[in-house]
Amino acid sequence: MSVFYEHFERHDHGQGLKAHATHYCPGCGHGVVHKFLGEAIESLGLQDDTVLVSPVGCTVFMYYYMDVGNTQAAHGRAPAVAIGHKLANPKATVIAYQGDGDLASIGLAEIFHAANLGLPITIIFVNNAIYGMTGGQMAPTTPMGLKTATSPMGRGRHEGMPMRMAELIAQLEAPIYVERVALFDNKQRVKAQKAITKALKLQTDRVGFSFVEVLAECPTHLKMTPLEAEKWVAEKMVPLYPLGVKKDVTPEAWPAWPQPSFDPERVARVVGGTTEDVPRFAKGSFPETGFGSDVALKLAGAGGDGAQTAALLLARAGIQEGFDATHIPSYGPESRGGTSYADVHVAATEVLSPAASTPHVLVAFNAPSLAKFGPTVVPGGVVLYDKTVITDPPSLPGVRMYGVPFAQIAQELGALVVKNIVALGALQAATGLLPKESLLLAIRQALEHKKHLFAVNAQAFERGVQAIEALRQKDVS
Amino acid sequence: MATSKERLKPFLHPDFCKGCSRCVESCNKHCIEPGTEINAATGLVPVVLDVTNCNACGLCIDACPEPFGLDTASDLPSRPQPAAPIPSIPDERIPLPAMRPLVVKGTYASAIGAMLAGCRHFYGYPITPSTDGAELMAKMLPGVEGHFVQAVSEVATINHMYGTGGAGLRCMTFTSSPGFSLMLEGLSYMVGAEIPGVVVDVMRGGPGLGNIAPEQSDVKLIARGPGHGSTRTIALAPATPQEMLDLTMLAFDLAFEYRNPVIVVCDGYLGQITGRVDLPDYMVKPGLPGWAVWGDAAHRPNLHTSILLNEVDQEQHNFKLQEKFARMEEKEQRADVYMGDDADVLIVATNTPARTAKGAVAALRQQGIKAGLFRPITLWPFPIRQLQPLLGRTRAMVVVEASAGQLEDELRLALSRADVHAPPPITHINHFGGIMPQQNEIVAAVRAAVEANPPKRHSAIPKTDGESVTGVLS
Repeated sequence: MSVFYEHFERHDHGQGLKAHATHYCPGCGHGVVHKFLGEAIESLGLQDDTVLVSPVGCTVFMYYYMDVGNTQAAHGRAPAVAIGHKLANPKATVIAYQGDGDLASIGLAEIFHAANLGLPITIIFVNNAIYGMTGGQMAPTTPMGLKTATSPMGRGRHEGMPMRMAELIAQLEAPIYVERVALFDNKQRVKAQKAITKALKLQTDRVGFSFVEVLAECPTHLKMTPLEAEKWVAEKMVPLYPLGVKKDVTPEAWPAWPQPSFDPERVARVVGGTTEDVPRFAKGSFPETGFGSDVALKLAGAGGDGAQTAALLLARAGIQEGFDATHIPSYGPESRGGTSYADVHVAATEVLSPAASTPHVLVAFNAPSLAKFGPTVVPGGVVLYDKTVITDPPSLPGVRMYGVPFAQIAQELGALVVKNIVALGALQAATGLLPKESLLLAIRQALEHKKHLFAVNAQAFERGVQAIEALRQKDVS
Repeated sequence: MATSKERLKPFLHPDFCKGCSRCVESCNKHCIEPGTEINAATGLVPVVLDVTNCNACGLCIDACPEPFGLDTASDLPSRPQPAAPIPSIPDERIPLPAMRPLVVKGTYASAIGAMLAGCRHFYGYPITPSTDGAELMAKMLPGVEGHFVQAVSEVATINHMYGTGGAGLRCMTFTSSPGFSLMLEGLSYMVGAEIPGVVVDVMRGGPGLGNIAPEQSDVKLIARGPGHGSTRTIALAPATPQEMLDLTMLAFDLAFEYRNPVIVVCDGYLGQITGRVDLPDYMVKPGLPGWAVWGDAAHRPNLHTSILLNEVDQEQHNFKLQEKFARMEEKEQRADVYMGDDADVLIVATNTPARTAKGAVAALRQQGIKAGLFRPITLWPFPIRQLQPLLGRTRAMVVVEASAGQLEDELRLALSRADVHAPPPITHINHFGGIMPQQNEIVAAVRAAVEANPPKRHSAIPKTDGESVTGVLS
């Protein structure tokens, strides 16, 4: 009896008889199941290790009685709470105790998911075919024809059919032990006690998820004497809910979980932190672009043009130089195959507004992007566009326009995907935004796991730079 | 009982026998009979036990639903001494070397912050635009023997957190508006049972399924206290990827300091913005609080529950929670003020709209207009203490947000509760569905506010009727 508190302090402050009596109605099956659970915990020496999750329903107050670690869960969520406890401390013996409304109605998603996850926890499912705490309403396990507060004419087709939870759980791959037992005579009670003990043992052996359904009596809401209720379970419920083992397999046990690591080196590595210095090429002075200390750029094209990648490279290079930078990808359905655009800011100290609704620099990979965003470029701004596909650019007065065949150059290099890098080179040459070396370093870092591609990317970048220089030559001549 | 080694004969405590007679049938020796006499203490009719023929099989004890009804001992245990408080294992701050700034998006920064804050348990359900953060956790956690569980739903998610948080460990989730709605029930239970945890809500367009574009649609749910009951949660609103990291780390500390969930609330835009993120010079190795339901001898007396059936107990519990919320309100108001000291017009905004507003302030100052930005970092508690000193000078306030005035409601309520009954006129810019307030319209709204509210003269009677210009929509 030691797994029960010696004094039920939580039961109305342990006043009077409540210090040693449960809140259950006379003859209620729950008290019997509590005793079997207590005996199982005691016989396996698990009292200190146990975390018991009480449900919502008549057993919401299990923590009045059971002298173990106690948690009370929201209606139907006991298995989810149990998983949270098991993963927090895998050495704990975690038991979720649930009734038929809790488990088979509101908590269906949680019980199936927990069973399917297969973590070694134990579910004690007490099926008394009716809602107790709320006052005798129909349960998912109520037999057909039974009159309840919410099926006053008797459960009919309209109210659905009784659910056999043990069988449903046993259908899943992950659970390792599922048995249905009852309490209506000595023989059944011995079996019930053994089943509960076995379920806990399988958990402590880390074998897996165990589930015991107990057919129990609710004399009050069945409007019967306790002995009539026992008889009713034997005669009405057992044919509907056959007793016995539904599943009993012994797969390889779960490995012992290692303790989470708080080793600073490992943590730093995992979050991508590195103490390695990167060279800075701008020597701390913000590039002279003519656009001040916060340069706004927009890179726009179709999905797959590489606008986002080029934008991220710019942001990365800016930050590695010790400046502030931001990148916002275009959002929503537009980014699915249609226009893909990126707003970038590179600022000497702080990017204030990260959007680039009136950019200093626009890189347009196709005609629609140029048509859409060209007019938003500030006076004196720069527009770079892909001359391969934009043969008839709109006139944008007060804006420096550079047509560079990004795609054609990339194709000449044998890799169309590097057209965004051609554009990046052109952007660097046209604006002076960040030293070439910074951008090339960002490209090299991005290709850390595809080092063989760096050469073609470097070439692409250089061809972009050369294209701008050639255009300038042409302007001068 | 069946496991009884000593084979002791049963003893009946008539006060704890409810007369159900389940034991009567269990006895093959017919030692027990239904009673006839009413027990004066209970008003029930206990069974009658005669152990003359008893063979101490114990089956009657197994049939008895009451722990102390039929027992092998005749004496009842007495009231034990109250247990001594369980000591906590304190958190440790472990120094980290200076590291290169990261270039990461907001959700990633938050996930990295969680790792550094000592979170090793993540539960979540995929929902755009928050999922990037969850995906990064799924990648990172195995590297430190942490646990990632893709839950069956947001409802399950928050209850996994109830379990792990209840065990005293740091755990979190990423979600977005519709998912956050589903977590409200669980959050209410966490508040009620005083269980810490961190929820990062990357807000998206609503109502209903809305869309996956940025909005600030959940401010009302977060700032008014989540779920049913008189709940409160500290709500931290970052504006940059850097703050996504910093405030996520802070969220864990606050959650455990107050034993209460903390919400990190950002918009979908901020989740996606890539920026510079400096790593802190420490990380946290969490300890284990004394109140944890951990599953060992030391913590066995502990309990997490939110049900107190007795009305007086439930009211006392609420008083205790309200005292805690009052402490939060006293200690945790946080705000960032940008050029607010001499501002004629204050813009009030959080998250990404606050960043856009910061750009607008700079632009307005260049135009000679003294604009300032008041950016609540805590949406609850609203940082009224930082706002009040600015109100003397400010002629107008413009609330800029991606919702129908959910932040403005918080502002007005905070002003009212601070007995500021004649605040400067408040106008607003509201957008929805992923359309974010733009810098140029903020500039225009501030200019309009300046023109509508000329400097007060000595003879001027202050306006008290709360004239407000509404709907500066583009």
